[in-house]
Amino acid sequence: MNLLFPLSPLLAVGFGALLLMLAEAFGKPQVDKELHGTEHIVDAGAGRSGELGLGAAVILFAGAVLSVAVWMVGPQNLPELKLLEPWLVMDRVALFMSFVLCLGGAFAALLAGGYLPEHNIDRGEFFPLVILATFGAQVLAASGDLLSLFIGLETMSLGVYALIGLRRGSPRAAEASLKYFLLGSFAAALMLFGAALLYGATGHTDLKGIGEAVASIGQPGSTVNAALVVLGLVLNLAGLAFKVSAVPFHMWTPDAYEGAPTPATTFMAVAVKTAAFAVMMRVLLTSFGDERLMSWGTGWPPVLAFLAILTMTVANLIAGRQESVKRMLAYSSIAHAGYVLVGLVATMRAPAEGQASVMFYLLTYTVSTAGAFGALILCGSRGAEAVSYEDLAGLGKRHPAAALAFTVFLLSLAGMPPTAGFFGKLYIFRAAMGSELYLLAVLGLLNSLLGAYYYLRVIVFMYFREPAPGAPLAVPMRSGMVTGALVIAGFLVLALGIAPGTPLAMALGAVSP
Amino acid sequence: MNSLSSSLVQAWPYAAAFAVGALIPRRESKFERFALGIVGLLAAAFISSMWPEKAVENAAAPPMEWDQLLNLIVFLPIVGAVAILFMPRQSPQLLRRVTMVILGLDFIASLWLLKVPMTDGWHFQYVREWLPGFGIRYHVAVDGISVWLVILSTFTTPLAAYASFGSLKKRTKDLCFSLLLLHGAMLGAFVSLDLFLFYVFWELMLVPMLILIGIWGGVEKIKASYKFFLYTMAGSLLMLAAILYMVWTHEQVAGYVTFDYLALSRLVLPQTAAYLCFAAFALAFLIKVPMFPLHTWLPDAHVQAPTGGSVILAAVLLKLGTYAYIRFCMGMFAGPAYAAAANLAGVAIGGGILYAALVAWKQTDIKKLIAYSSVAHLGFVMLGLFTGTEAGIAGGVLQMVNHGISTGALFILVGVIYDRRHTRLVSEFGGLAKVMPIYTACFVLITMSSIGVPGTNGFVGEFMVIMGSFTSSVLGSHGKLQGGLAAFGVILAAVYMLSMVQKTFFGPLSNPKNKHLKDLNVRETVVLAPLIAMVFVLGLFPNLFLDRMKSSVSGVTARFMDSTREFRNAMDTNPDRAVLLPRLSGALSSGYPEDPKKQTEAPESATAALDKESAQ
Repeated sequence: MNLLFPLSPLLAVGFGALLLMLAEAFGKPQVDKELHGTEHIVDAGAGRSGELGLGAAVILFAGAVLSVAVWMVGPQNLPELKLLEPWLVMDRVALFMSFVLCLGGAFAALLAGGYLPEHNIDRGEFFPLVILATFGAQVLAASGDLLSLFIGLETMSLGVYALIGLRRGSPRAAEASLKYFLLGSFAAALMLFGAALLYGATGHTDLKGIGEAVASIGQPGSTVNAALVVLGLVLNLAGLAFKVSAVPFHMWTPDAYEGAPTPATTFMAVAVKTAAFAVMMRVLLTSFGDERLMSWGTGWPPVLAFLAILTMTVANLIAGRQESVKRMLAYSSIAHAGYVLVGLVATMRAPAEGQASVMFYLLTYTVSTAGAFGALILCGSRGAEAVSYEDLAGLGKRHPAAALAFTVFLLSLAGMPPTAGFFGKLYIFRAAMGSELYLLAVLGLLNSLLGAYYYLRVIVFMYFREPAPGAPLAVPMRSGMVTGALVIAGFLVLALGIAPGTPLAMALGAVSP
Repeated sequence: MNSLSSSLVQAWPYAAAFAVGALIPRRESKFERFALGIVGLLAAAFISSMWPEKAVENAAAPPMEWDQLLNLIVFLPIVGAVAILFMPRQSPQLLRRVTMVILGLDFIASLWLLKVPMTDGWHFQYVREWLPGFGIRYHVAVDGISVWLVILSTFTTPLAAYASFGSLKKRTKDLCFSLLLLHGAMLGAFVSLDLFLFYVFWELMLVPMLILIGIWGGVEKIKASYKFFLYTMAGSLLMLAAILYMVWTHEQVAGYVTFDYLALSRLVLPQTAAYLCFAAFALAFLIKVPMFPLHTWLPDAHVQAPTGGSVILAAVLLKLGTYAYIRFCMGMFAGPAYAAAANLAGVAIGGGILYAALVAWKQTDIKKLIAYSSVAHLGFVMLGLFTGTEAGIAGGVLQMVNHGISTGALFILVGVIYDRRHTRLVSEFGGLAKVMPIYTACFVLITMSSIGVPGTNGFVGEFMVIMGSFTSSVLGSHGKLQGGLAAFGVILAAVYMLSMVQKTFFGPLSNPKNKHLKDLNVRETVVLAPLIAMVFVLGLFPNLFLDRMKSSVSGVTARFMDSTREFRNAMDTNPDRAVLLPRLSGALSSGYPEDPKKQTEAPESATAALDKESAQ
C-alpha cells in the first residue's frame, strides 16, 4: 500500500513545515545591530524573513501543484485513499480546496516575506506557523469525521491565534489575539458539544454514518432522537458560522483582522474562511443532506438564507462607514461570506451547481482578497503604513503601479467584469436562480451595489483626491516578494475573469462524477 | 494609364480636403499640418462613403464581408488602451499621437461597414465559443441600426479626444487610457449579440467614464462620479438578475444553456416573470438614457465632466440606453414592452420632453442647460421607440445620431468658452457676437440644428417621431394627443435654446472681462467642422441614413408586433408556463446553428421516438 503519492498534498505541506522549523531554529539570525541593540532578545530566525518566506511559499506552492497532480490522476484511481476514510476523505472537492488553501497560504507567506522585515517584526516563527495552519486547514477541508474535523480545526486555529499576536509589543495585536482566541475557543466548544450530541443521538462520529442515521429518522425501528440531531446541527452550524464570520457571529472579525499583521489577516480572510466553508459544505451535505433537512420548510436552507441576507447586508452597510481601509476589507470579507452562503443555500435544489459555485467562488475570492491585502501592504512602508483612506490619497499619481494593482483587485472584489470576482458572483447567483431562490439572488446582486460603493471609495481616493497638505502619506515599499505575489494574483484575477473555463469545469467535475 | 488617371480623378476630393487641412494658416510643426490634412481627408472620405456606390451593385457577387472587421474595430482601441499603460508617462505628445492614430484607424475601419448594403439580417457576423460549458459565446454582428451607432461612436470619439487634448494638459496617460478603453467598450456593447458579452462591455464602460469625470471634473466631481457609477450599476445588476433568470428558464424549456440573444428572444416567460424581467432590463436602459425620473445623475455628470467626457457621454454613452431598449427590451420582451409603451410614452413626453425643457429654460449654467436639453431630446428618441411604428423607430434612431452630433457639438462649444473664461454662467456673458464672430456663427448654427429647424438634421428626426406617434397603434387613442404635446416640446426647445443664445451672444458687451476673448483657434475649428458638415449632410440627405436602416427597422417593427401577438397567445393559453416560440423568420435568423446540441440530440430523440413506438 503506497499512500505517499495520494497523500502528497498533505505530506508535502506537513513535512515542509517541520523542515522549515528546523531551518528556522538552527539558522543564524541576522539582526540589524543599530535597530535592535544588545538588550533585545534575538529570536530564532530573526532577520531571515526573506529566505524563510520564499521557502514557505515554495512549500505551499508545491502543495498546490501536488493537489493538482493528484486531481489529474484522480482519487477514484487511487484505492489506497479508502484506507483513510472516514477520517480523511481525499475526494475531488477536498483536492480543489487543498489547492485553494495552499494558494492562499502561499500568498500570505510571500506577503509576510516582504511585510515583516519592513515593519520590524522580523521573526521567523511566522512561516512554520503559516504552513502548519494551512496543513490544519487542509485536514479540516478533507475531514470526514467529527474528530478529525476538530483536530483540523484546532491545528488551524492555534496557529492563527499565534500569528495574530506576532507583534508582541502592540496592545492592539494582543487584544485581537485574545479576542479571537476566546471567541474561537467558545465556538470550538459549541462545535464539540454539538458533536457530542450528534454522537449521542446517532452513535456515529463519522459524517456518513451520521447522515445514514439521520436519514433513518421516522422509519420504523429507528431509535435516533430527532431533537438531539437538530440541536447538534444548530450547534455545529453556529460554531462554523463563527469561523466563516457570518453575521451575527462576526463580532471578533474586524478587531482581529485589524490588529493582526496584514499577512496574518490575509491568511485569516483567505484560508481560514475557505477551509471553514469547505467543511461546512461537507457536513451539511453529507450528514444533513437528508431531503427533509434540505427542504425549505423543515431544514437548514432557510436558516442559512437568513444568515446570508443578514451577513451581506449588515457587513456591506457597516463597511461603507469605515475609515480604515484594512477594517473595510475585514467587513468586505464578512460580506463575501454572505455571498458564499447564498451558494450553499443553492445546494438545496441544485446540489452539483451549488457546490461548484461555492468552490469556484472561494478560488476567485482567495486570489482577489489576497491581492487586495497585498496591494495594501505594498502601499505602505515602515512608519508610514497605509491605514486610512486619506493615506491613499493621490497614490495613483505617486505610485501608479501599486494603485493600478489595488484597483484591479478591488474591481474583482466588487464583481466587475472582466475579473475573477465577476465570474464567481455570476456562478453563485446562477446557482441560486437554478434553485429558484429568486429573491435571494436579487438581494445578493443589490448587495454588490452596496459593496461597489466602498470599493469605489478607495479608487476615488487613490485617483481623484489630492493629499491634504501636511498630511501623513503612505509611502509604497519596495519588495520583490510582495510584488511577485501581486503579479501572480493579478494574473490569476484576469485569467479567471477572461478564460475561466478550465477551473469552472474542474469545480463542476469535482461534484458531478 | 487610363485607370491611373481615372483613379487620380476619383481621388481629387480627398486630395483637396487634405490640402485644405494641411494649408490652414498659423501652424507651427509639419507634423501638425500633416495630421490636420489627414483629418480633412477622413472627413471627405466619410461623407463620400455615405453615398451608395452604384458600380459595385451586382446581385451575383455581393460585396465581401470580412468577418474579423468587428473584432478589429472593437479590440483595436482596447488593445491600444493596454499598450498605453506601458508607454512612458513623461512624453504626453507620444501618448496623444498614438491615441489619435488608433482612433483614426478605427474610424477608417468602421467606414468599411458602409460598403455593404445593409439588408435585413446580420452583417459582419462573427461567432466563436467562449465558455461552452456556460453557453457563453463571443458573438458580434451589426444590422442597419447598430451600424449607425458604431459609426457615430467612431466619428465622435476622435473629435472628443482631439478636443480634450487641447484643454486637458495633465495626466495625459490616464486620459488616453480611459478614452481608448471607453471607446472599445462602447463599440463592443453596440455589436454584441450575446447577453453575457453585452453585459461585460456594458460594465466595462463604467470605469473609464468614472475616471474621466473623477480626474478632470469640476468642483463636485467626486459626488458626480459616485452618482454616475452607482446609478448605472444599480440598473445593470437587476438586469444581470433578469439575464440569469432568462438563461435558466431557457435551459428548462429548451434543454441547453445559452446566453445568446437570438436564442433567448424566442423565449416567452411566464406572465409575472416576463413583466419583472422587462422591468429590470428597462430600468437598466432607462437609467442610462436617462429618462425622467431616473435622469438626476445626468446633469451632475455633464456639468462636472470635462468637455471630452461630456461629448462622449452625450453623443454615444446615452445612446447605449436607447439602442439597448430597441435591441433587448423590444426584441426579447415584445409583449410587456407593448403593454407598457403607452404609459412610458406619457412619461417620456411629460417628464422628458416637456418637464426637462422647462427645467432647461430656468438654468443659469449653459452646460447644465444643454444637459437638460439632452434629457428632452432623448425623450423624443424614446417616444419614437415607444410608438412601435416604422416611422417612429426610424425617426428615433435617426434622432440618436442627430443628438450625438448636435449635442456633442454644443458641448464642444461650451468647452471653448469655458477654457477662456472658466465659467459657464449665462449672466457672465452677453454680446459675445462682437468679439467672437466665428464662434457665434457656429453656436447659432448648432442651436438651429438642436431645435430642429428644417434643413438641419434635427428636423427630420423629430418630424418622423411626431408623425410616428400620430399613426401609432401602440399608443392607442392618446397617440394624437401625445404627438401634439411632443410637437409643443419642439417649441419649448426653441424657447430655452434661443433665450440662452440671445442672452449670451447678443445685446451689449457688458462684462469687461469678455472684451478680449479670442475667437476659435485651429484645433477647435477642426473639431467643429466635421460636425457642422454632418448637420447639413443629415439635414439635406436624410435618405443616406434612412435607406441603410430601413430594412432593419421594418424587420424590428414587424418582429415586435409578431412577438407581441405570440406573447398574447401564450398568455391566453397558459400564463404560468414558459414556452419557446418557433424560429421567427426575418432578421432573427442569423445563419449559424442556433441549437448547439441539436445535432447531438437528434439521434437521441430518434431513439426515444423508436422506444415509444416499440412500447406502443
